[in-house]
Amino acid sequence: MERTAEARPIVEVKGLGKSFGAHKVLAGVDFSMRVGEVVAIIGPSGSGKSTLLRCLNQLEQHDEGSIEICGIQMRADTPIPRKDMNALRRSTGMVFQSFNLFPHMTVLRNISLPQERALGRSRAEADERSRALLDRVGLGSKADQYPARCSGGQQQRIAIARALALDPKIILFDEPTSALDPEIGLEVLAVMQELAEGGMSMIVVTHEMHFAETVSDRVILMADGKILEEGPSSEVMRNPKSPRAQQFLHAVMNR
Amino acid sequence: MTLDGVLLIAGGIYWTLVVTVCAFLLGAALGVPICAMRVSRSRVLNAVSVSLIVLLRSVPPIVWIFLLYFGLGSGFLTINPVPAAIIALGVITAANMAEIYRGALSSIHPGQWDASHALGLPVWSEFFDVMVPQLFRVTLPSATTYLIGLLKDSAIASTIGVAEIAYLANFLSNKQFHASLQIFAFAGALYILISLPLAAVARDADARLRSKVAQ
Repeated sequence: MERTAEARPIVEVKGLGKSFGAHKVLAGVDFSMRVGEVVAIIGPSGSGKSTLLRCLNQLEQHDEGSIEICGIQMRADTPIPRKDMNALRRSTGMVFQSFNLFPHMTVLRNISLPQERALGRSRAEADERSRALLDRVGLGSKADQYPARCSGGQQQRIAIARALALDPKIILFDEPTSALDPEIGLEVLAVMQELAEGGMSMIVVTHEMHFAETVSDRVILMADGKILEEGPSSEVMRNPKSPRAQQFLHAVMNR
Repeated sequence: MTLDGVLLIAGGIYWTLVVTVCAFLLGAALGVPICAMRVSRSRVLNAVSVSLIVLLRSVPPIVWIFLLYFGLGSGFLTINPVPAAIIALGVITAANMAEIYRGALSSIHPGQWDASHALGLPVWSEFFDVMVPQLFRVTLPSATTYLIGLLKDSAIASTIGVAEIAYLANFLSNKQFHASLQIFAFAGALYILISLPLAAVARDADARLRSKVAQ
């Protein structure tokens, strides 16, 4: 796994906090990440991993601290201008646990429509790009099918192609294989590994410990809305320092 | 019952369809803002739409028609029978369609909104490309059921003199009361004849839309 990450930060998070009502989901989260890095976020359920990811592209608004992503500043105390929000959504792609393909559109339309609506590409341009990406994820023959006719693993690869079609600078993966059985999950992980090797900046919330250890450059271990440990993947995974991290990793590594 | 009688009553199909279709279109359109208020985060808009829905649905259609035609029509403004019937049935339809839309909205997976936002779709596209086609599929069966109900409710427009099927049947039976049974049976058959193709078209469209999303 030889990958070079540039020194330029693509994500810079400072003092991030988020509450749902009285429940504090994130508290004082700081981290940064460079262009081309692959960061895995692991940790027990309810530790705030997904919320952190959803704050990064503002599917959830954070209520403390600041986020800078691809040069776009977002402070909790100031509303984000529409122009910045559009730029943010243009620079970040997202892949969801539940795929979230549009069920009433063919696979090709699913990938082409956002290109036309968000980037203003022509139908022909968009379709050409969509077909190229479908080939790349090994699903060129599925272009005219509806998503319901595709397996979960295929749907997730289509969702990845849909995100890639908008030429994002970073892709956020929210438990991309959790809804798939382990064998099917592998085909999705293979596509993600290829992306990582191609130099894509990625943040992956995952329960796939093997992926976290071998594909990602860095691992962030979260618990109770805070970052517990962070560092080079093998170091965090093999030699966790805090007892809580040791307990979590012991539980998930020895299955 | 003579051929003349048959033709006379069949001539009422025109106004039956005008009242039904116009009231439905009016209701389907007005239902959108009422539903939007109903699901909005504003308590005031919520309260307004809930009261509107309760008010419109609790009063029987015939009372709404009399209220508009005889109530408003006697002194405030003159209103013709056909628009009075269309407006009265239309606003009742709006309240019901708003509730049908609301049910359909809740059937859409929240991930569809997430994906639309994350992909940076403009608001209009999120609405027209992503939501409306899915809502259309979900609302189709209940909207059709309502439309067929409305077709039959349109008969109460006869009470204010709209010359639709029921009005003409009643008119004829007053003249030929010995043939009342045939006359009203024929009128009933006409309603069945209009409903059947409506239901068939809707079933077919539903099956086609469903086959796309079926596993």
